[in-house]
Amino acid sequence: MMQENRSKEMILEVKDLNIAFHDHTLPETVVVDVDLQVYEGDMLGIVGESGSGKTMTALAINGLLNRHDIQKKGEITYKGVDLLTCARNELRQIQGNDISIIFQEPMTSLDPVQKIGRQVEEPLRLHEKLSEETYKERALEALRLVELPSPEEIYERYPHELSGGQRQRVMIAAAMICKPRILIADEPTTALDVTIQEQIVELLKKLNQNEKTAILFISHDLSLVRKLCSKVAVMKDGYVVEAGDTEEIFRNPRHAYTKELIAAIPAIGVKEYEKKSDEIIVSARNLNSYYPARTGKLFGKRKKVQILKDVSFDLYKGEILGLVGESGCGKSTLSKVLLGMVKDTEGSFVNKDAHPQMVFQDPYGSLNPGKTIGWILQEPLRNFTDLSDTICEEKARNMLKRVGLSEELMDRYPNQLSGGQRQRVCIGAALMAEPGFLIADEPVSALDVHIQEQVLSLLKELHDQIGVSILFISHDLRVVYRVCDRVMIMKEGRIIESGVTDEVFLHPKEEYTRQLLRTSGFLDENVV
Amino acid sequence: MNLTYVLKKVISLMFTLLLTAFLVFLAFSVIPGDPVTTMLGTQATPEKVAALREELGLDRPFLIRFVSWMGSFLDGTFGNSYSYHVTVRSMLAGKLPITLTMTCMAFVLILLIAIPLGIFLARNSGSIPDRIMTVVNQTIMAFPPFFSGILLTLFFGLILHLFKPGGYVSYTTSVPRFLGYLILPAVAIALPKAAMATNYLKASVLKEMKKDYVRTAYSRGNTTKGVLYGHVLKNAIIPVITFLGMAFTDMIAGSIIIEQVFSIPGIGRLLISSIANRDYPVVEAIVVLLAFLVILTNFGVDLIYRLVDPRIRSAMEE
Repeated sequence: MMQENRSKEMILEVKDLNIAFHDHTLPETVVVDVDLQVYEGDMLGIVGESGSGKTMTALAINGLLNRHDIQKKGEITYKGVDLLTCARNELRQIQGNDISIIFQEPMTSLDPVQKIGRQVEEPLRLHEKLSEETYKERALEALRLVELPSPEEIYERYPHELSGGQRQRVMIAAAMICKPRILIADEPTTALDVTIQEQIVELLKKLNQNEKTAILFISHDLSLVRKLCSKVAVMKDGYVVEAGDTEEIFRNPRHAYTKELIAAIPAIGVKEYEKKSDEIIVSARNLNSYYPARTGKLFGKRKKVQILKDVSFDLYKGEILGLVGESGCGKSTLSKVLLGMVKDTEGSFVNKDAHPQMVFQDPYGSLNPGKTIGWILQEPLRNFTDLSDTICEEKARNMLKRVGLSEELMDRYPNQLSGGQRQRVCIGAALMAEPGFLIADEPVSALDVHIQEQVLSLLKELHDQIGVSILFISHDLRVVYRVCDRVMIMKEGRIIESGVTDEVFLHPKEEYTRQLLRTSGFLDENVV
Repeated sequence: MNLTYVLKKVISLMFTLLLTAFLVFLAFSVIPGDPVTTMLGTQATPEKVAALREELGLDRPFLIRFVSWMGSFLDGTFGNSYSYHVTVRSMLAGKLPITLTMTCMAFVLILLIAIPLGIFLARNSGSIPDRIMTVVNQTIMAFPPFFSGILLTLFFGLILHLFKPGGYVSYTTSVPRFLGYLILPAVAIALPKAAMATNYLKASVLKEMKKDYVRTAYSRGNTTKGVLYGHVLKNAIIPVITFLGMAFTDMIAGSIIIEQVFSIPGIGRLLISSIANRDYPVVEAIVVLLAFLVILTNFGVDLIYRLVDPRIRSAMEE
């Protein structure tokens, strides 16, 4: 692979790139001595967690770090031009024309008040003087290239009328319209549903092969990069810690961090299932739940949308039951139903625990910013018990230690804590009153891979100690595989498959489950 | 633009207007103070009072009076003035254009000041002109129009002699001199609103500049100007439209006071004198008219919103 690349032309070279923020205090270095080479038609992956400097490197290559408070050193050479030092109008000639970029958030990356057609044409209008008809023709051609159905119709639409996947395709169409030599894709699939992720990845692969566009694929997802990229650079804390042929790195990772990343990719078939208990904590039968739909008419008949369809399951004492599905499938509605927060529900459920607790996805929004950590931890005790203040405080201190945090945090406020620390506090607060039933709704989705691992270990450890039953809701199959005893797959409000985790992961019955597993790196012959 | 939407909206507006008219009428029939007593004086004999009540139709039941009052709107007379014995319409006819001209001039002034200044301050956020303007804006916002009206009269009239206080010229005499006289009152009501609109627009532009689509626009090779005028401005103006709509209706109502300060014979002065005379048909007609203008402005804002923001368009058509 490396041999082959040498015969190809090198089109972009990053040399000793250093990026630092001149915040009002000290300059904070986010990229250190980064070297990268992009060859013609390359498929190069950059892997790292958030804060590793991968996005900053990408933005620098596209010339998007032009704020005066950012300090850059080194060279980014494209066609003999140093993109870091060249004049702004020289840079603009290259931006969107030779080097284009797509971003993580297709929902917000498009101008909401401009028609799709106009936005796809924009790079072409900026770089080439053509007739109006040609602009439109080229835009339609680009929309066809990204395999959007009925391009003529999409051309006249606005961004909010398209789905996330369609918007990302529009972003790609606009990025490809000038036939660039390099396309930077910064976490292009992270914000999308798994099934859509797969399609976007396929599309990028095709563009790379057919259009000969070199793609710089930036991701936190090592198994995705392995599927897509022939070469990879692993970044951590601003440094490229390891770079080279993807398969070679997978076989012989040299750096400890790379080893850690590879180890975090799940290996299947090592778990043993043992039923914890016969006692049922939560039992749901034929749950149907509805949501009122807006009709827009003043006196129109109220319509209802069915969210949950005939959901039945049992949660045994002391087990962790996974609930997997894409966003919008009804996972969170089910948790609300179990907490009694959805009125329009049919069917029955028995919940043996009077005070089920919850851990939410967003550790930033779910802690009251005006209260101290100590106060937050004691809240469940104040609500559900008659313990004295001193005992409550003592228990809160103990809990802080149990969730791996220092007692000093008792008097701190949530904004003084990192995301991982906050999620530890959320878990601690949920377990304070020793509930029999806990709902964890995407508890690690907002955290970095590294921190995810720690929080999951903590959750599992505490679970083993306390014996609480957990309904673990997640869209991330790897996380679910790591912690759950049994798993249920949900699609469009229905539980389509359920069983012991290993059983479902090794022998999925439904095609939908198989698809979910494939996109998460399971069912892949490469993964042993 | 969707025709059924407009039709639906117009029908609902008519209902709103009818309700407003009813409430206004109800209010004036329950508040103390009798127009008959005002007209005849407290010494009038009960026979005379009864005769006048009958003449004015005040002896009829409330609902009948309301319906006949509504009828006067349909034939366009708006009823008869108690004091002057002419139709209210003929009294309003000469006044309404004055008030509306002044308000529209003020509105144009707001646009002329706020849009360029808001954009300039957003582009130079944190610079010395920005910091100075922030302080100036805060000060101007705190100035009630009647006070700045007095200051303007003092400065332009008594010191610079560019303006003749109380020298109102009717538009029937000379349109340019009529407009010339209205400039200062228009400035007085426009200034605090212009300061607020500037702040709104500046904040809105700064907020939009941080959004992801701006980064996308830059990544395509746009200049800052291209990003600003090609993408940001249309997005940034959306929240400001709401404010401009409110400012417009506010200024129509606010003209009542400024017309007193500058002795302009508009709707505002008519309203105040009619209240003093207990000339209820005139007062009621003016209040309903103001309500109508407010509702109409809101409808206009709605339509402009739909033109600018495709998201609102489709949310409403669903």
